[in-house]
Amino acid sequence: MLVINPFVSKCELNSSDTAANMPTNNVVDQRISKFKNKGKDLAKLREKRISECVELRKAQKNENFLKRRNITLSSLPDEEALSPENDTVGLQKLLSKGRDPPLKEIIDAGLLSPFVSFLAMDDESTLQFEAAWALTNIASGTSWHTQQVVEHGAVPAFINLLASPVLHISEQAVWALGNIAGDGAAYRDILIECNVIPALLARICPDTPVGYVRNLTWTLSNLCRNKNPCPPLSAVQQMLPALIQLLHLSDKDILSDACWAISYLSDGSNDRIDVVVKTGIVPRLVQLMNSKELSIVVTVQTPALRSIGNIVSGSNLHTQMAIDAGALNVLPNLLRHPKPTVQKEAAWALSNIAAGPCKQIQQLITCGLLPPLVEVLRNGDFKTQKEAVWAVTNFTSGGTVEQVVKLVQSGALEAIINLLQVKDAKVILVLLEAVNNIFMKLGETEKLCLLIEELGGLERLEVLQNHPNEMVYQSAHDLIQKYFNDVLLWVHHLLWSVLVLVSGGFFGPHAASNGPAQI
Amino acid sequence: MELNDGNLQTLTEYLRKTLNPDPTVRRPAEKFLESVEGNQNYPLLLLTLLEKSQDNVIRVCAAVTFKNYIKRNWRIVEDEPNKISDADRTAIKANIINLMLSSPEQIQKQLSDAISIIGREDFPQKWPDLLTEMVTRFRSGDFHIINGVLRTAHSLFKRYRHEFKSNELWTEIKLVLDTFALPLTELFKATIDLCQTHANDVSALKVLFSSLTLISKLFYSLNFQDLPEFFEDNMETWMTNFHGLLTLDNKLLQTDDEEEAGLLELLKSQICDNAALYAQKYDEEFQPYLPRFVTAIWGLLVSTGQEVKYDLLVSNAIQFLASVCERPHYKHLFEDQNTLTSICEKVIVPNMEFRSADEEAFEDNSEEYIRRDLEGSDIDTRRRAACDLVRGLCKFFEGPVTAIFSGYVNSMLTEYAKNPGQNWKHKDAAIYLVTSLASKAQTQKHGITQANELVNLTEFFVNHILPDLKSSNVNEFPVLKADAIKYVMIFRSQLPKEQLLQAVPLLITHLQAESTVEHTYAAHALERLFTMRGPNNATLITSAEMAPFTEQLLTNLFKALSLPGSAENEYIMKAIMRSFSLLQEAIVPYIPSLIGQLTHKLLLVSKNPSKPHFNHYLFESLCLSVRITCKANPATVSSFEEALFPVFTEILQNDVQEFLPYVFQVMSLLLEIHSNSIPASYMALFPHLLQPILWERTGNIPPLVRLLQAYLEKGGAAIATSAADKIPGLLGVFQKLIASKANDHQGFYLLNSIIENMPPESITQYRRQIFILLFQRLQNSKTTKFIKSFLVFVNLYCAKYGAIALQEIFDSIQTKMFGMVLEKIIIPEVQKVSGAVEKKICAVGIIKILTECPAMMDTEYTKLWTPLLQALIGLFELPEDDSIPDDEHFIDIEDAPGYQTAFSQLAFAGRKEHDPIGDAVGNPKILLAQSLHKLSTACPGRVPSMLSTSLNADALKFLQGYLQAANVQLV
Repeated sequence: MLVINPFVSKCELNSSDTAANMPTNNVVDQRISKFKNKGKDLAKLREKRISECVELRKAQKNENFLKRRNITLSSLPDEEALSPENDTVGLQKLLSKGRDPPLKEIIDAGLLSPFVSFLAMDDESTLQFEAAWALTNIASGTSWHTQQVVEHGAVPAFINLLASPVLHISEQAVWALGNIAGDGAAYRDILIECNVIPALLARICPDTPVGYVRNLTWTLSNLCRNKNPCPPLSAVQQMLPALIQLLHLSDKDILSDACWAISYLSDGSNDRIDVVVKTGIVPRLVQLMNSKELSIVVTVQTPALRSIGNIVSGSNLHTQMAIDAGALNVLPNLLRHPKPTVQKEAAWALSNIAAGPCKQIQQLITCGLLPPLVEVLRNGDFKTQKEAVWAVTNFTSGGTVEQVVKLVQSGALEAIINLLQVKDAKVILVLLEAVNNIFMKLGETEKLCLLIEELGGLERLEVLQNHPNEMVYQSAHDLIQKYFNDVLLWVHHLLWSVLVLVSGGFFGPHAASNGPAQI
Repeated sequence: MELNDGNLQTLTEYLRKTLNPDPTVRRPAEKFLESVEGNQNYPLLLLTLLEKSQDNVIRVCAAVTFKNYIKRNWRIVEDEPNKISDADRTAIKANIINLMLSSPEQIQKQLSDAISIIGREDFPQKWPDLLTEMVTRFRSGDFHIINGVLRTAHSLFKRYRHEFKSNELWTEIKLVLDTFALPLTELFKATIDLCQTHANDVSALKVLFSSLTLISKLFYSLNFQDLPEFFEDNMETWMTNFHGLLTLDNKLLQTDDEEEAGLLELLKSQICDNAALYAQKYDEEFQPYLPRFVTAIWGLLVSTGQEVKYDLLVSNAIQFLASVCERPHYKHLFEDQNTLTSICEKVIVPNMEFRSADEEAFEDNSEEYIRRDLEGSDIDTRRRAACDLVRGLCKFFEGPVTAIFSGYVNSMLTEYAKNPGQNWKHKDAAIYLVTSLASKAQTQKHGITQANELVNLTEFFVNHILPDLKSSNVNEFPVLKADAIKYVMIFRSQLPKEQLLQAVPLLITHLQAESTVEHTYAAHALERLFTMRGPNNATLITSAEMAPFTEQLLTNLFKALSLPGSAENEYIMKAIMRSFSLLQEAIVPYIPSLIGQLTHKLLLVSKNPSKPHFNHYLFESLCLSVRITCKANPATVSSFEEALFPVFTEILQNDVQEFLPYVFQVMSLLLEIHSNSIPASYMALFPHLLQPILWERTGNIPPLVRLLQAYLEKGGAAIATSAADKIPGLLGVFQKLIASKANDHQGFYLLNSIIENMPPESITQYRRQIFILLFQRLQNSKTTKFIKSFLVFVNLYCAKYGAIALQEIFDSIQTKMFGMVLEKIIIPEVQKVSGAVEKKICAVGIIKILTECPAMMDTEYTKLWTPLLQALIGLFELPEDDSIPDDEHFIDIEDAPGYQTAFSQLAFAGRKEHDPIGDAVGNPKILLAQSLHKLSTACPGRVPSMLSTSLNADALKFLQGYLQAANVQLV
């Protein structure tokens, strides 16, 4: 099949769910406030994906697409492609024009109403198809465009078209509905209320062409997509069996979209994760995340890994299911994957497993995750390093003494110290937390101090005492006070801070900026 | 305040007066301004003056005053009144940009600062048009204005470099990017074009280059949090131009100044930073550009001179290379032998040379030199950057790099040998190279602990370091001497002990060197050697091994304090302290002379305490003298008092605030040495210690509490008889401390000492009041820390005065109070008590309540008997409950209570752990068993029945264990 101008993704900003945003500001704040007092076990740090974050970056390149335009249908007979005697053919040329088709002009010209009415003309199948085609492309525009299509009553019409005996018309409807569903939670739910799901599922049968199933899977994935709110539970229950079935096919595009669907469904509260894992799909997901036999594995691997990542962000039980399905055996390879985004996603999953009970941490050690973890800490892409840092901090917070010793022996401490110079205040804060945890756990303060000093850590900490971020400065300062200053210096600092307090001044690097008025 | 000429005139006069050097004129004027600043229009009057005054001095003065006013008052603090009227706020925001842009540079800077302070609070929500207003000015074409805008933008955006990611912050950044990124990029391109058009116009170029530097800084801030989509799309433009600017040179912009960095250097330094940021955080996207930058930066390094003005640029550039060369996927950029040789030869070696600027610092600014060279504040120096690059390269290329440098070291040493007088700097560089190659892992305490195997440190020591240390003239080639001493110091863990012992007398000799750096290093090296640990955790170098050198060591250390520039040298004073601590009894014969010298020093520095470290070690040394001498012969304490009290008196009389906490501690130490009586000299001081003014200062509280505790311990009875009128004052201190969340544990220390040491009858009349105060605090603000201290006190009271006394005092305050305290505080909270002594006190107190308090057996309190027993068993057996309610996190760890004063400022004035229960109770579990046994024999049948009905099974099992261990049975 020839694809003319593959897809246009709609929303460059705000569209991506990135794991990198995972730890929220509040979490660090809360955790650090505890940090100062006592190093007892902090609340477990398992984190859900956070979407709807403000993003500065380009939307993820490997993200699935919200809306698509100008795909040639798999089921379209060649002679239908551009039949000259049709009114809408001109439009078709117009709409498939490059990046910026004149969607608005068509709407302003009042063409939507007639197009929607054409959809019902079962005996004018060519006209019906061309109208469906045009509306699909208009719906692939901005939210405003989609809204125009919906408000002209296209939804029930398209759902009716699903049952069309003409395969390419039905497929066109699948695609149009996918675009509408991809617009957001509101239209998604409208479609669900109009019973789009049974109508779609009815089209899955053994002799449906692969191309059609691909489109259909994509539309299903859009029906699973978007949060605030999540799709209704009943709809999820309706779709899951079909998705599971699709996940056992071998076409990589179908697998990819089905995995994306699962990744959306598992991206939520624990009861949502629960619904997904109860289908028994976890082993298959682990298999797909590992899949080597498919030629372009990364398009399947990525959403499979995301799904597993979501699942291990659930309860201990959920995490255990992923572990039992062998997720930990696959993660080392994924942490060494050539694509940084895969590494990052794997590190995120790992960070959530490391937030579990020490039994799970032990499994993580047994499955040989420490060496690749230290590797990404050392040499990984920055986004991956960030996740790996969380993994280490969670590990040091929940691990037993022996486990933390193992971690240090694997070279994590050296890597942590090296990272203390990164240009990201929050990462540094999380690292300092890890250092503090290690001190708390190991207890052998003197030896550890020596080791850290040898690795250049003390020097880094001292530099951090001049960090403009107050919390970073304070944490570094506290660590030095607590562990490194021989008693004398420690006391001196105490005394000094007391004196400064008494004289009403400010202590630390802010002294200069808060100093007395200068003329 | 009206906006009129009269007020402008008045304000002008007062502003002028604030510039008067005479404080009697200046201070009242400052006070006046402070008193009127709350009035409406005050800031507008200042703005008018800074714009329109005829007198330039007044304009600048008004600008500074305005900036400071904004700094103090703009922020609206919750629960505090808004200090600037809304009308003034609006007027300021409406005018300040224009004003800033049209003002001369001196005033512009102040206003720009003020804008960023306002912006920090108001931008973007409350100052929505700020950005657009700024962007519009880009089109003005006037670079004076443009630079003003850029400077303001920089001060507004630079916080993006260090703040945590949050939705709020990123929303702001997104807004800034949307309005600012494109115009900034256009401006960047236009400015670069203009640089070409004006390539021969120096003054135009200067303005344009400062714009470019500011633009580069803005680039850094805007790209810091994440790679914005806009900059990713425009990376080609930015990086190509940055690269071009890095390789650009323009003779017109070169400065003659050797020290101050010129515009070209500043711009290039910032570009290096930008490249380093991208290389670190956005490696994937930046990869295509990186090799070009490596080549350009390397080229830059090769062609940049030795002058100080290039230091920042060179160190930034080297740091960039250092961070790139250890990445596995860039290894190939460096691995070619020629590349490595050329980096070593052209980048590293030249930047390790001892420059004339270093020589000047060595001679004239030794303090700064030491700080950089010894304390690692050399982060931005060339030598340090070169050193980091060596270490970075060693990650993948240790063998070749070491081989290349070995050649250099040898040739430099040969050069030196040819003509030491002429070529001593070659040897300095050789030593530095060896040090940076060898020191892979360095610690302050142990020196280098892991050396490069390719460098033989001992051999180098014997052949090249020892000869310098042995040279008969300590004042010849001081830099090389300092290098040699430093070598011993940093490789002390690597060198065999015989070598170190060989070095010790040589180091002692170098204490006499005239060069401040040299004798300071000698003192520091000795101090570090003395802290090394040998087998068995003892010091590596023993007092016995030091015997032959003891006298010389002490003499030279004290003599060194009289060398010019070292009168308050903290390294020497620390070495004195460490020597005392190492030598112990060996110093006793010298003490009479030493104590004289120390007190003399103390007297001198107390006139104007300026070196906190020096003073601290001085007091530590005093404490050590006292301890060591009095340990052998406690009677000598009086001779110390004779020597010290006159100085202490002077310090107290002159209220030398910095020293009071120390004086109180030394006095505590002295007083504690006395056997159980309190000398009259101390009693005379007692009333003064209760003066409220002393207790106002936070720093005095811990040592004063400790001193009062010493008084009570040694003279509780004496105070009761001869100073009974002071008891209310003493309790007043307790009352003050108990009221503060930060100091309440100190109040309890004092109260516990009173209970423990004062004759009971002397405080009978105050008891009720004490308890009422505690209850008030419990009601008003109950914290975990307070509860813990309270529990310890209540149980100490019970242990000391008996359970009946405790029950009676509670019930006398309010009926049924005793039961309430048991039920609401003791039973649920006792698990939180921490510390062995504290737990023991609580155990003994509770045992007494259980077994010696009739009210527990026969009244409605009886129902609390089993829960209390269960809580006690929990205290014995369960892990400590260290949960703290969420709202208590503000309490600092330093305040964590212990029965002992945790605040031991002077390490060598430390107090021994004190256990008020003492050996009377060895094992509280046994005591519980025995006491229960006694109780059960007194009222047979009762105890077993209470146990069997409601004690939980686990607790019962533990209890049976205790009974068995004590070999008693309940009846």
